[in-house]
Amino acid sequence: MSRKILFFLSSDNFHAQVWKNGAISKASYFPNSTEGLEQLSDFLQTHRDPAYVLVDLIEEDFRHEVVPHLTGANYQALVQRKFDQYYRSTPFRLASRQRRQSDGRRDDEMLFSALTNPARISAWLDLLLLNETPIVGIYSLPHASIPLVNEIENDHLLLLSWERDAGLRQSYYFNKRLRFSRLTPLNPGNSFADAVATETARTYQYLQSLSLTPQGEQLQVYIICHDSDKAHLDTHLPASHNMRYAYLDLQQLGKRLKAKNTYTDSDATPLFLHLVATRTPGANYATAQHTHFYQLWQTKRGLFALAAITALVCIAWSALSFMDSSNVQTEIESLTAQSRRLTEETQHITQGFRNNNNLLNPDGSTVQASDMKTAVTLFRRLQNYSVPPQQILEGLTATLDNFPRIRTGKLGWQMTDVPGNGSSGTYPAQVMTFNGELTDFGNDYRDALNYLERFQLTLTQAGYTVTPIKLPLDFSSQGSISGDINEASDKPAEFSLKIIWRPKE
Amino acid sequence: MTFSQADLPHIKWSLITFLVVLAIGGSAVFYSQKQASSAQNTRRAAQQELSNERNKLNAARDDQMNMAEYTKEYSAIQQRGVIGDEQRLNLIEGLDNLRRQNRVLDFKYAIAPQQPYKPAPALDSGNFDLKYSNMKLQIDLLHEEQLINFFDSLRHEMKGWFILEKCTLDKAQGTDAQLKAACEGGWLTLKNRNAK
Repeated sequence: MSRKILFFLSSDNFHAQVWKNGAISKASYFPNSTEGLEQLSDFLQTHRDPAYVLVDLIEEDFRHEVVPHLTGANYQALVQRKFDQYYRSTPFRLASRQRRQSDGRRDDEMLFSALTNPARISAWLDLLLLNETPIVGIYSLPHASIPLVNEIENDHLLLLSWERDAGLRQSYYFNKRLRFSRLTPLNPGNSFADAVATETARTYQYLQSLSLTPQGEQLQVYIICHDSDKAHLDTHLPASHNMRYAYLDLQQLGKRLKAKNTYTDSDATPLFLHLVATRTPGANYATAQHTHFYQLWQTKRGLFALAAITALVCIAWSALSFMDSSNVQTEIESLTAQSRRLTEETQHITQGFRNNNNLLNPDGSTVQASDMKTAVTLFRRLQNYSVPPQQILEGLTATLDNFPRIRTGKLGWQMTDVPGNGSSGTYPAQVMTFNGELTDFGNDYRDALNYLERFQLTLTQAGYTVTPIKLPLDFSSQGSISGDINEASDKPAEFSLKIIWRPKE
Repeated sequence: MTFSQADLPHIKWSLITFLVVLAIGGSAVFYSQKQASSAQNTRRAAQQELSNERNKLNAARDDQMNMAEYTKEYSAIQQRGVIGDEQRLNLIEGLDNLRRQNRVLDFKYAIAPQQPYKPAPALDSGNFDLKYSNMKLQIDLLHEEQLINFFDSLRHEMKGWFILEKCTLDKAQGTDAQLKAACEGGWLTLKNRNAK
């Protein structure tokens, strides 16, 4: 844990202590003189850690007010107005929104407080700023006590503590919210117990005048003291039906707050300094100007932290990338080795080709086996594009031998691949046009047509596709027919057929 | 909080440290990423190379198999003059031989300049360019059988490969021939693009 510098300012004293890991060092006192300022300056040269200033002054004023609930700029304006109204002459002022009322307009309960004598603190503060001390905040003891009060279950609480350099501090908390506080310096002749007895009675009267005393119940007074003072206090504090006293053991409190110091008397100053260092209150009297060097200190630390994080991220990222590259490199080596093996195997095979292959291209180069395959396959397929006439006509010729009454006229064939023109396969079909004549049918058209139909059927059975283009007689209803009884009956009847031959695949 | 130029000396070293770390760290990341990216690219290239080599090996194995299977047939096609440049002199000599054999009464032919050939339906010709020399034939015949024998001789006795495209057979008028045939086709050659 880092070091912290704790300053304590009372009416007559200003001292500094170094806090580290819960332990507070011996106090260094600085007299309120030129010499004291020089000593402080020297101290600051060797202590550059964040500084917490705890003040315990008589000149601290508290005003409790109920104001309309506002937010944002309106709230800021209200606070500024109140500051100007009550604490125009001091820059050390504080507005705390304590709670919002649950009924009515739901107004805010505010506590305005200020260090009304800025001269008390300014000289020291100016020197701190001159030495560029990173001031975290300026805290007052009543505000710093709130963490202690939060642990005590009581609606009306008067907390008493004794600070050796300041005096007897009495702070009244209503429902754990600070309402007012007063500091009474202890006279040298007065004992701690006598002072408590006297001052609590006065405070009670004051609370009574403000109607803040609890109705029908006793005011709970908690006294922070050393165990050795408890018995003395017990005997000296008068029995009162208005107040009930309880003790907060200083050593036990310190232990609970993880303070490592040993308390030898009832001086609560080290405890409150520890409290400020470890449970730093949010509210404090420092302005932005006062905390400027702390902001710079934080920025500096933030940049160092950011640099460290950046370095770690970059190292991790780079390491992962290099590891990844290394793994990939191993893979590449494996792939390259495989490629090399395959290349060698390929070369071994192709070397064998050269030794066994005597076929040459016209340019003298060896014919590639793949080219051979292509050429042979291509040639095999091209044979289906060049069908011998015998193959196309043999079926037709054989059929014609069985139909002697059909005389061949003109015969033509053509290779085609045009869809709808007889080709629908992988290889081109041959489309034949057969023009012929039917002889010796007399006037028996029915016999002639039946003969031609049988001819077509036989061709179809032989594997051809036959479509009549022209028949000896158009006997459809759309055709016209004429006849002469004296006309010769042995005139040949011409017909035309479209015959398609397809190669067997 | 507001910063002014006067505040800079307070945070100077932390800012410089941060910027130096950022620069060094950024460079390290950039360099390592570049290395990683380069390694990835090299791996891709190596994978591609392996794939190519595998394909080459498969092709070589195929070729090894093809070699035994196709050498004989390829040799025959090559002998026939189908592969390589067209041998027109062989064609003319072959046709003259046919004429002398009197397979038909007479025939006339006309061979056109060689053209690229596009089979229909189309065929994948691989590394080969298909070339085609159109030939028109006018043949006088005594009977149909002569035409069949003529093309049979053209196919089996001549070097080269003739594709018969179409033919028309009709009765002849006023000559010794009984039939006249008008046929058209072409001589095909396969030219390997890789062989000059």
